[in-house]
Amino acid sequence: MLDAVRAEALKLRRHRATWLMVWIYPIAIALIMIGVLLYGAFSAHDSGPPQSAAEWIQDSAMLWKIPTSGPGRFLIAGFAAVVFAGEYGWNTWKLIIPARTRWQLIAAKWAVALGFLVIALVAADLIMLLGGWLGSLQDGQLPAGVTLAAVAEAHWKAGVHALLPIIYTIAFAGLFAILTQSILATMILSIAIVVIEGMLPLIAIFFHGYAPALTTWLVKVLPFYHMANLGAWAKGGVVIPFGPNEILSMSWTTSFWALTAWIVAAGAATQLRFLRQDLN
Amino acid sequence: MSTSEPSGTPALELRALGKTYGRGARGKRAVDDVSLSVRHGEVYGFLGPNGAGKSTTIRMALGLIRPTDGEALLFGRPVSDKQALRRVGSLVDGGTFYPFLSGRDNLRVLARTQGHDGARIEAVLERVDLANDAKRKVKGYSTGMKQRLGVAAALLDDPDLVILDEPANGLDAAGIQDMRNLLRGLAADGKAVFLSSHLLHEVQQICDRVAIVHKGKLLRESSIRDLLDHGQALRVEAEPLDTAETALQGKWPVERAPDGLRVQAPRADAPAIVRQLVEAGADVFRVGPDDQSLEEIFLTMTRDTDA
Repeated sequence: MLDAVRAEALKLRRHRATWLMVWIYPIAIALIMIGVLLYGAFSAHDSGPPQSAAEWIQDSAMLWKIPTSGPGRFLIAGFAAVVFAGEYGWNTWKLIIPARTRWQLIAAKWAVALGFLVIALVAADLIMLLGGWLGSLQDGQLPAGVTLAAVAEAHWKAGVHALLPIIYTIAFAGLFAILTQSILATMILSIAIVVIEGMLPLIAIFFHGYAPALTTWLVKVLPFYHMANLGAWAKGGVVIPFGPNEILSMSWTTSFWALTAWIVAAGAATQLRFLRQDLN
Repeated sequence: MSTSEPSGTPALELRALGKTYGRGARGKRAVDDVSLSVRHGEVYGFLGPNGAGKSTTIRMALGLIRPTDGEALLFGRPVSDKQALRRVGSLVDGGTFYPFLSGRDNLRVLARTQGHDGARIEAVLERVDLANDAKRKVKGYSTGMKQRLGVAAALLDDPDLVILDEPANGLDAAGIQDMRNLLRGLAADGKAVFLSSHLLHEVQQICDRVAIVHKGKLLRESSIRDLLDHGQALRVEAEPLDTAETALQGKWPVERAPDGLRVQAPRADAPAIVRQLVEAGADVFRVGPDDQSLEEIFLTMTRDTDA
């Protein structure tokens, strides 16, 4: 299995899509940080009111909002589309399927898609943290109360909370790729999901007027609300008002398990479909 | 590679293999009841016109397509047995590779996927004469180079069975000659080689046995020698042909051939045939053994099926 992962990593680590959709995070953050530090060094500016330690720490972990945001998820879905559907476009399943069991090939793709993204995001996070620290030193000093332990805890929490949305996006993009066998179609479906999530409150209110019980049930069962709920963990989750007398608000834990169930279902569907797929 | 199966077990065996695409009235039968076996140490040719079902059969033998009926066995085990499939090297679709990787990196990816470190990469690149181009990205390769890289990929894990779909496609005359020597060398090493081709002349020169398929059905499986040996037949070139045909018809079975007449008669009857033709007033240009080529046999068989 490890060999399959190594093969997948060897294949993708220098692919153009990986540069544009994965390695872009640390590269872009590094360039932005260098720009900000240079600007700070050569221009006279007002550093503004002093930040509290809590604000400084929260700002330093801001990067982890990217993978849960719409544009961030488009990038993740795009990369997953290339990882999974690329084999159809390059016609290369025929090369590797006789060499390895099909479930391992899919599992290796999950591992590499997630692994590359985590590596890139952790690297970007560390660069951002370093840049923020240097910037604070440039302006004077770090706010009192900023400790290594507090920073580590905040970044760990932010990273862990971002993990499930990343896995969810990869899982569904992988499923769409196996079903459609097309990078473009996978991207369109993945974008559609993100758009539906964004419009969910409006959609829910609209349909609740016609079929209240069904709408409530669907919002609770389908992954869209849970994804939005997890993404907004820092704000205490998402509340959907169906009307003046009814709102939907679920706990982070409920959404976590609901989304985990959807990820497992998407993964199982991907494996089953691929296992029975004819590759002409 | 180890050969743990009982001696005499074919490297590849197809048992009543069938594939139907689609369902119901719209279903298309691509392969129908194909049975054959490929032994160790032989080069086996799989012949058929375009759309005959050759590629579908090869894909089923490699586990890329699920058969609708029958089964494909590798070394006596089902294709789903990964250990058996690991002993097979294959080339399909003229070599399918990652275009953004170099030839060498493509082989590295394949070696890793197969679960080894690719110690044979340089050797197989040398063997197919691609060592000097191994650094270049595959998207810049010519068709012939991709084909040769495909052969290198097929040989990477030192397989016991090599399955090649149209291996001579895109190769120049020298490349075809190299391929011929390579395949004969593999068979001499005790490996089984199963190749599909439409280059009948090549198949005639390389293969020990052939199967002819047409419209998904197996028309004949036989050794090249048996296929070419049509018993005792003579080829007669004479003019006028109608006069010659009439003169011989009473004594021997005669049929028209592309450049004369084909007479079912032993070699000893040649003088009598000449006398008969001369007496009938026909000019005789040649009487000799009927060396029918594989191409003629193939065309006759597939034409008969079409009729």
